[in-house]
Amino acid sequence: MARKTTKTGSKASKRTTRTATARKTTTRKTVARKTTVRKTATRKTAARKTTARRTAARKTSVRKTAARKTTARKTVARKTVTRKTAAKAANRRAAGKARTAKRTTARPARAKKVKDIDPITLQVIGGALHTAAKEMGHVLYRMSFSSIIRESEDLGAGLFDADFNTLSESDSTPLHIGSIPGYLQGIQDTLQDGEWYEGDIVIHNHPYHGASHSPDILIAIPIFWEGEIVGFSANTAHHIDIGSATPGLIIDIPDVFAEGMLFAGIKLYRKGVRNEGLWKFMGNNSRMATMLRDDIEAQVASARLGVERFKDLIRQYGLATLQAACNQLMDYTERMMRQQIRKIPDGVYHSEGWLDDDGRNRGKRLRVKVAVIVKGDNVTVDLTGSADQVPTGYNVPFEGSTKVAVFCCFRSLLLDQAMSEVYIPQNQGSFRPIKVIAPKGSIFNPKFPAAAEARFTQCQRVIDCIIEALAPVLPERVTAGNSASLSFIAYAGLRPSGDYWVFLEVNEGSYGARATSDGPDSIDNLMCNTRNNPLEDLGMHLPMVCERYELRDDVMPGAGKHRGGIGVVKAQRVLTAGSITHECDRHTDVPKGIFGGAAGAVGKVQQYNFKTPGDVKDLPAKFSGVDIDADDVIAFYGPCGGGYGDPLERPAEQVLDDVLDDFCTIDQALNAYGVVITNAMQIDKPATSARRAEMGKVAAE
Amino acid sequence: MAKIGVDVGGTFTDLVLEKGPRDVYVHKVPSTPEDQSIAVLRGIHEICEVAGVKPRDIEMIVHGTTIATNITLEHNGSDVGMLTSRGFRDILHIARHKRPHNFSLQFEVPWQSKPLVRRRNRIPITERVLPPEGTIDTPLDEDEVRKGCRLFKERGIESVIICFMFSFLNSKHELRAKAIVEEEMPGVYISTSCEVVDVIREYERFSTTAMNGYVGPKTARYIRNLADKLREEGVKAELRVMQSNGGVATVDMSSERPVTILLSGPAGGVIGGRWAGALSKEKNLLTVDIGGTSADISTIPDGRIRIMNPRDTYVGDYPVLVPMIDLTTIGAGGGSIAFIDEGGAFRVGPKSAGADPGPACYGNGGTEPTVTDAQVVLGRLDVDRFLGGDLPIDADLAGRAIDDKIGSKLKMKTKAAALGIIRVINSNMALAIRANSVARGYDPRNFGLMAFGGAGPLHGVALAQEVAAKEVIIPPSPGINAAIGLLETDMQYEFTRSAPLILEGAAKKDFDRVNAAVKKLEKLCSERLSADGIPKSKQVFSRIAECRYHGQGFELRAELPKGQLNEKTKSVVIDNFHAQHKLDYGYTFGSDQVEIMTLRVIGIAKVEPLTWPKLKKAPTGRAKKKTLDEAFLYSRKTTFDDGKTVDTPRFNRDKLLAGHSLTGPAVIIQHNSTTLVPPGYRVRVSDFGNLHIAAS
Repeated sequence: MARKTTKTGSKASKRTTRTATARKTTTRKTVARKTTVRKTATRKTAARKTTARRTAARKTSVRKTAARKTTARKTVARKTVTRKTAAKAANRRAAGKARTAKRTTARPARAKKVKDIDPITLQVIGGALHTAAKEMGHVLYRMSFSSIIRESEDLGAGLFDADFNTLSESDSTPLHIGSIPGYLQGIQDTLQDGEWYEGDIVIHNHPYHGASHSPDILIAIPIFWEGEIVGFSANTAHHIDIGSATPGLIIDIPDVFAEGMLFAGIKLYRKGVRNEGLWKFMGNNSRMATMLRDDIEAQVASARLGVERFKDLIRQYGLATLQAACNQLMDYTERMMRQQIRKIPDGVYHSEGWLDDDGRNRGKRLRVKVAVIVKGDNVTVDLTGSADQVPTGYNVPFEGSTKVAVFCCFRSLLLDQAMSEVYIPQNQGSFRPIKVIAPKGSIFNPKFPAAAEARFTQCQRVIDCIIEALAPVLPERVTAGNSASLSFIAYAGLRPSGDYWVFLEVNEGSYGARATSDGPDSIDNLMCNTRNNPLEDLGMHLPMVCERYELRDDVMPGAGKHRGGIGVVKAQRVLTAGSITHECDRHTDVPKGIFGGAAGAVGKVQQYNFKTPGDVKDLPAKFSGVDIDADDVIAFYGPCGGGYGDPLERPAEQVLDDVLDDFCTIDQALNAYGVVITNAMQIDKPATSARRAEMGKVAAE
Repeated sequence: MAKIGVDVGGTFTDLVLEKGPRDVYVHKVPSTPEDQSIAVLRGIHEICEVAGVKPRDIEMIVHGTTIATNITLEHNGSDVGMLTSRGFRDILHIARHKRPHNFSLQFEVPWQSKPLVRRRNRIPITERVLPPEGTIDTPLDEDEVRKGCRLFKERGIESVIICFMFSFLNSKHELRAKAIVEEEMPGVYISTSCEVVDVIREYERFSTTAMNGYVGPKTARYIRNLADKLREEGVKAELRVMQSNGGVATVDMSSERPVTILLSGPAGGVIGGRWAGALSKEKNLLTVDIGGTSADISTIPDGRIRIMNPRDTYVGDYPVLVPMIDLTTIGAGGGSIAFIDEGGAFRVGPKSAGADPGPACYGNGGTEPTVTDAQVVLGRLDVDRFLGGDLPIDADLAGRAIDDKIGSKLKMKTKAAALGIIRVINSNMALAIRANSVARGYDPRNFGLMAFGGAGPLHGVALAQEVAAKEVIIPPSPGINAAIGLLETDMQYEFTRSAPLILEGAAKKDFDRVNAAVKKLEKLCSERLSADGIPKSKQVFSRIAECRYHGQGFELRAELPKGQLNEKTKSVVIDNFHAQHKLDYGYTFGSDQVEIMTLRVIGIAKVEPLTWPKLKKAPTGRAKKKTLDEAFLYSRKTTFDDGKTVDTPRFNRDKLLAGHSLTGPAVIIQHNSTTLVPPGYRVRVSDFGNLHIAAS
């Protein structure tokens, strides 16, 4: 079961080493780290490291076997982890880049050789892992309090092996999925005590230690089995307020310290004992302290459930079988991904787009430049040429977000759940064939201490650009230009009691049209997949009331053989004075049409007072801490997707249907589709034929 | 006097007739999918003849039907017109703005591509009710309502729904609009959201109402037509229809709120499972009903049928906020197809060979290997005794399909591949059982696994082993257990109302409001039951508060205290809620505030339980062995899950007597079902004829 891996630079070589020595190496790794520690100061190159490791590995392997089953051995193991952690951190600082650390997997004596797991057992274990992750997600959102978790399901949960590989994931929000390995690595580098104990629960959200962004707090529990760590149960959830510069969301801030509380490898529970001081601290550092802490409790309950489920599996199948099955499942997913990549002709595919601004320097657009390099069954996405990092919080953490966005894109493109009859396990395997390059200091790989909280819209544009770049070679798998943005809005104010209220809302986007169907309207786009907050629920608990929630009718989506999706209008009225922050984009660069389809429409945000609705003020897409008065209305208009194929090929009956349903105006029918509709709402067939012929001729010229 | 239960399935319509205590008849006729009532009437006619019962002597007919479900599956409901609040025309189109898949670009959005109400028929009406008190901010524009009606008439709309924002706080506008529609469009099918499901959350309430309007006219026509025809045949008894919540309702009630019968079919099975458990005094049951294409799974703790959280009740892709039995349905059955996917993974289901062409062994041209084919290859289904020999099957065709599609690809021998099929399908079902039990806080080790449906008894032992259930129980007539369940079903009506109240610091007037609302809901239930001729003395009410910690988004059920809710008794609700939270999530927030969201009253009238005849007792001593020998048919080679093939005796279940016991390996055959008893297991026949199988 050779594992082919191609990740970033130095990782690749390490992986190869591991593969070469096959499973035997699992046990050696622990020890190898010890050596790594001692040599840290002098070691410079990856090559040297590898050699050092190998040698040390063999030596200690012997020693370990001798010490087997004694308590002394356990102590040794722990020390090893400690030193290794320190070493790793030092290492990282020295090298200045991320790397994969390997954790102990099994006790040496137990890591007996396991044959390939039969396909049937494999199927059984795969199903159990997936079910466990789903259950974890379920408990988390059902128990939690803030609407961003309980309604939007802005969370991720899953099980991971001791090397931080994703074994299974809940079916929650895509950006969370795939980000957790980065967090676990970050914890490893920063862990309190430098080592794990049974009964530890760690809290972590540091964007420069693997976190996706700071509001997405991770809770992780190491899974111990017979004294060794065999995996992790972990989840992330977007918290309503972590004490950032402005309530709930932030854009225009100076640095990462304005993001709020930063946790790096901190133990919320240590050896089973609750760190009351930390809980108390959090109580004083959030505008919504009770909600924050209760939601973290929900995360703890969810992670504990995952530990139990994983241990149940070990009891049922034995550790060796379980681990072998996990590896095979990852290989399977990897194989499925590689099969699809291989179908794409080798080559370099380009595209680019423009982001509105960084939320402070208005009018200064930011370039997103994408090169997709396909070679055999590997793919590299190179973001070189994209904008430099910005002085606000509009940067993207590389490990936790940039890479995850690219992984998400290829999963959607190549392992499209709607195009495949079979369920492909969601695990690390899908990430392995994909490499991401973003120069340090660019918007997609900022340098400490740049703030990097508002990172979603940039990720969305990367995905949209990859889709556009690959359209010529994957016409049946792509979409036309998507909204590829996000509207994330924080409403906040003070209650008469003096307490804060904060509400985070995610507004939907729309899809570009596809080869065989129209782009879906008003729906979460690409990497976003949350649920909206019921308007009635909102009205019962907050000083807010919704004025309008419908499809846009002020602009039309991109025309095409298949039309683009229609954006939403959501107008929320705030009943008492407060402030709002909006993370959004796409007010200037319109979603593109493809294969003859027309472009979609950009979005807009308007502010007016309920009492003077005629007096409308246009706002930029991004703004921070804007004061609003009682009865002020914020109206968000989502971008509309681009069209796919020649609009003249759209059957006239379908255009008429769209007109009857107000998805299309009579004007657009005439001007974009060449369909003439009479006052009696019928197709004027001769006039339509003539008009379509005429338009076709003009187009041909 | 006789009672009849008639359950319509995809292939067969099953009937049970209880003529008197211990005098029970069962019957099966082929279903008539084009019009279910044909088979229903034929079946009733035939079973009455067999039992010697005259139509006028029938006391009650309970009907489990898939009519409403099929409308949703085939998407051929009515053209619906919708009147909704201005500014919110697209609530049904946007839904919860979440995609059906995380990782997909080519996905379909069913509520947009196949809407229950087309956008052109969603008419915005000027009116406004405001939270949190339900004050009227803008009065209803009655002219717009009338204009909407005229448009609907032009378009030939036969079903109108009225869905206004915040109508759960104030229903005045919806009810006034309804009166206008009745005036303008006499005879049209009308559903208002406050009457269909009077609860908070606009999308779910609108969707439920839209579903009601969509399936309403057809379903109502079917039920009323069936009732009329029965009357023509001389049947005096009123027809009752099984609801998704495990209660039965009258023809009128099911015609007005057909959303309540969407899971009418599988509900009967769960109740049948509970009934069969009661025959052996077993109250903790996992019911597994395995048919040709799907398996329906439910957990019954302490004899209690569990109702799904209203946030989880979907029909297809549409949320439908009506009480439904907590069932997990998966695509796993005798017809499930096995295949090897592109990446080399071994898959079974959810695609099914269905009834046509059916499994390869049926010889109807099917070439895909199915679970049934695997059972045949393993010698567990005897070709000459399939369905009592009514349907001859061909083992060679089964083997060939498995070799072609599985064996050759994985380089496995036929039997090994067949065993693989069984293991994968069992694992899929076991995961679903765990999802319905373990994930809900129930430990299968305390439960008996009740396996039925045509294919259930073949899988029972393997499933019990996988989920660690304490034993397997096979009911006396596994193939028609769901029909039996229909005769075991109570009359049941349910009404709800949203009434948010934080219990901490609640004042007397708040409690009064809740008490008044509960009383009103009780009155509604009581009126329905009285209209069905149930005397007050036999009416029982279950009163529930759906609660959450203030600020959560999902409610759990907590029983209300007996008598009035007040400062003293509120602790009962709080304690019940904490307990439920602990059970569901494994955690409680001890000190947090508990908030009542929705009140629910369930009015129940118990039916007389079906009295099943006791089985003849086996004699003692040597005679016992002799009677057991009489049940013995022959022995054949049979392969079990451990891969071992052994000579296995067949027994005729009809000849097994109470008190008989036998050890595996054994195969017990009856007309429409076969029970597999692996080596190392022991079967005991109970007084009423249940088979109890446990490791010996």
